[in-house]
Amino acid sequence: MSLGRLAIKRSLQGVGVIWGVITVVFALRFVTPGSVINAVAPLDASQETRQAIAAELGLDQPIYVQYVQYLADLVQGNMGYSYVKGLEVTQMVFQRVPATVELAVAATVVAIVLSIPLGVLSATRRNSPVDYGATLFSLGGISTPNFWLGVMLILLFAVQFDVFQTSGRGVTSVAVVTSLVGPEPFVATLLEWLSYITLPAIALGTYFVALITRLTRSGMLDELGKSYVRAARAKGAPESLVRYKHALRNTLIPVITVLGLQLGTLIGGAVITEAVFAWPGLGTLVIQSINLRDWPALQGSLIVIGTAFVIVNIVVDIIYGYLDPRVVYD
Amino acid sequence: MSQEEREGVDRRTLLKAVGGAAATVSVAGCGGSQTESTETATQTGTETDTTEVDEDTGTPDEGDESTFEVGATLGQMDSGLDPHDHAETPTNIIVSQVYEGLMGRDKEGGIVAKLATEWERVESGTVRFTLRDGVTFHDGDPVTSEDVRYSIRRVETEEVGGALPQDGDLAGGKTLENVEAGDGEVTVTFGGLNPIVFSLFATNGQVMQQSWVESNENSFINRNTNGTGPFQVTDYQSGTSVSYERYEDYWGEPAAAEGATITASSESATRVNQLIAGETDIVTNVPPQEISRVEGSEATSVDPVPSTRIIFLQMRYDVEPFSSQQFRQAMNYAVDVQSIIDNVLQGFGEITGQPTLSQFTGHNPEVDPYGHDPERAEQLVEESGHAGVDITLQAPIGRYLKDVEIAQTAANQIDSLSNVNCELQQREFNSLVQDVTASNIEDRPRFNLLGWGNAEFDAAQTIGPLLTSDGPLTILKNDEVDALIEEAQGDSDPDAREQTLQECNQVLHDLAPWVFLHQQFSVYGTSNDVEWQPRPDELIDLWTASPN
Repeated sequence: MSLGRLAIKRSLQGVGVIWGVITVVFALRFVTPGSVINAVAPLDASQETRQAIAAELGLDQPIYVQYVQYLADLVQGNMGYSYVKGLEVTQMVFQRVPATVELAVAATVVAIVLSIPLGVLSATRRNSPVDYGATLFSLGGISTPNFWLGVMLILLFAVQFDVFQTSGRGVTSVAVVTSLVGPEPFVATLLEWLSYITLPAIALGTYFVALITRLTRSGMLDELGKSYVRAARAKGAPESLVRYKHALRNTLIPVITVLGLQLGTLIGGAVITEAVFAWPGLGTLVIQSINLRDWPALQGSLIVIGTAFVIVNIVVDIIYGYLDPRVVYD
Repeated sequence: MSQEEREGVDRRTLLKAVGGAAATVSVAGCGGSQTESTETATQTGTETDTTEVDEDTGTPDEGDESTFEVGATLGQMDSGLDPHDHAETPTNIIVSQVYEGLMGRDKEGGIVAKLATEWERVESGTVRFTLRDGVTFHDGDPVTSEDVRYSIRRVETEEVGGALPQDGDLAGGKTLENVEAGDGEVTVTFGGLNPIVFSLFATNGQVMQQSWVESNENSFINRNTNGTGPFQVTDYQSGTSVSYERYEDYWGEPAAAEGATITASSESATRVNQLIAGETDIVTNVPPQEISRVEGSEATSVDPVPSTRIIFLQMRYDVEPFSSQQFRQAMNYAVDVQSIIDNVLQGFGEITGQPTLSQFTGHNPEVDPYGHDPERAEQLVEESGHAGVDITLQAPIGRYLKDVEIAQTAANQIDSLSNVNCELQQREFNSLVQDVTASNIEDRPRFNLLGWGNAEFDAAQTIGPLLTSDGPLTILKNDEVDALIEEAQGDSDPDAREQTLQECNQVLHDLAPWVFLHQQFSVYGTSNDVEWQPRPDELIDLWTASPN
């Protein structure tokens, strides 16, 4: 199957998955106890006021009518109108996407920066104290809940040592880039950006550091034991060339796949980290929407998260096939 | 070159690039020692602080000392910036910096003049407001009596504003008959006497510009503002933050702060961290377990203030065993409210014995709380004929300060009576509210914990909706209470009305439709760099904050 056909096939499957997500999320509204009217009307609102609000929001329509209307709006790029906020959901959700993507990418960078060297060191110095240390670190990283780690990082580095900001986003990465050409001082803007993003990125990325360290270690050990490595060594290639040009490069193929998939997880799975750091991304919007019973905003957020996950998976599938010609898709 | 060959080269190139990037970051990762990263981070914090001030003021360092900006962190952000289209405190806090009504309230809850300088009752159902001269909206246009007329009608008339949640907040149970805009005055006529009309106008009915509202979509009005208040919005990030700057043409005393920012964090620990780290000046809802951290910091303090919210356990009058007045009184004797305040709330609460708080019109100072007397409770249960009964207390999770712990303690204390078994059922708030607001009393919970905020500082605003036969949330039908409230609501003499409401509170104490618990305190954490006093109505008036 060519890459083009593969992309089309995966995209069609993705549309099916996204439709399923939409349907499940829409149905959840009707099986969850409590009414959206209670989020809008004051407690002592009369039944007449409640009915009037329900009629104005279209909630007095049969479920299937609401569902069909919602799908029709969605196809036109309209995610509806937030009952609670009085805003267009599309606007609310896409306003949050950059913050979530920024945090996910930053966490991935943290994971790459720490895990690959650690994995390589661990593999090349097998059964040494470095290897044991890296294994211990990996175990700790996988076992540590990121919300707890986030709170500890805040208490230590933001409250106790006053090095980073406790929470919030401050400047955006776009502002950092534009400061290169704009009037704002680049270094100051960059440092301010780092002061906000470092702790949440570490908190979110630590789990993946641990995961990818283990993956890199096992991959490297596997590659270093293969015959092409022996052949390279036999012909007198320098050890650094053997390790980093040959073994590491081949190890990176599964690592890149996992990183890509984790990026999708990070986009949808940063809810708790975002709450701890008051990071204004999709995760915070999800929490707010649940608390406020803001179903349109919740639906919009989950659809975007689900869609991002599906897209990342498709892209990773395609890249994997592109990187490794041995992979054959039926 | 064949297609295959080109793919091969491209793949190699890509792999090389990825490998190169990974190697680069690897080297960077290996090379960067912990010390180095800490140093960088230290510089980050310092640079950030300096840069922030410079950017905000737009002035060199020497100008920093003259700049005062204030920040507040709430538990939750607003539900849009339309001042009429919401019914909760966070939005009220955020829009109150920008919008004002004809009247307002001071720190103690007393009524003060805002956009009206005088107000009078010209007839039983008619009131007149004299408007302040020289008030402008933030876009520079003057406030007209037509704008005031429109704003009142927008709140009260569905044809003007749609089905807004504040419907009825100015009319107080009457219908709005007419609003007449005159020269510098507005006359409002209701379909009958509205005895607390000025109290209602002091809390609700922010003035908006008619042309601005009519020319914009709802979604625009929820993201932008055009009020008359001491601050105007400069940046609005829905659900994240609102930034303000001082409105220089404000009619009253200008705010001391040149700018203000309100953000939110649902995590109380995060709010406290922000305060201690000096990133914000005021944080709301400091829970008891965080009090010591705030008090332990040299830079911050705890500022508690009695709120306008009363917490209680309501008992439905029409079902056994709560249909028995003796049983209801027994429940009041069974619960040790003072112990709950001391141990669960660390002293941040005030015991109550009637539905009306001590700061409100109609509070009866002669009524004492029931007090804790388990033996008397057991005796009353016996006399009620319900000894051995099983009851279930339903309580919301996380809606009110320490609600779960309060409910657990109360349920345990009731259960410890020898002749009553009490279980606790914790419920998600929205789900509980669904039942509490059911249209038929038969569908409402029999025994549940609830809180009630009353920003109008008037007994009738609590008793009316919760304890009269026609109240939308009532769990009681009692002719005497109904008659007293009806009498109070038809009485234009404030002294006589106060007496009637006091009498009603005595009756309700004796009837015991609730286990009277406590007045909730709002507990703020504040920076010692800022002089600001909290208010009972839960608003945060940032325009009164000044440097300390």
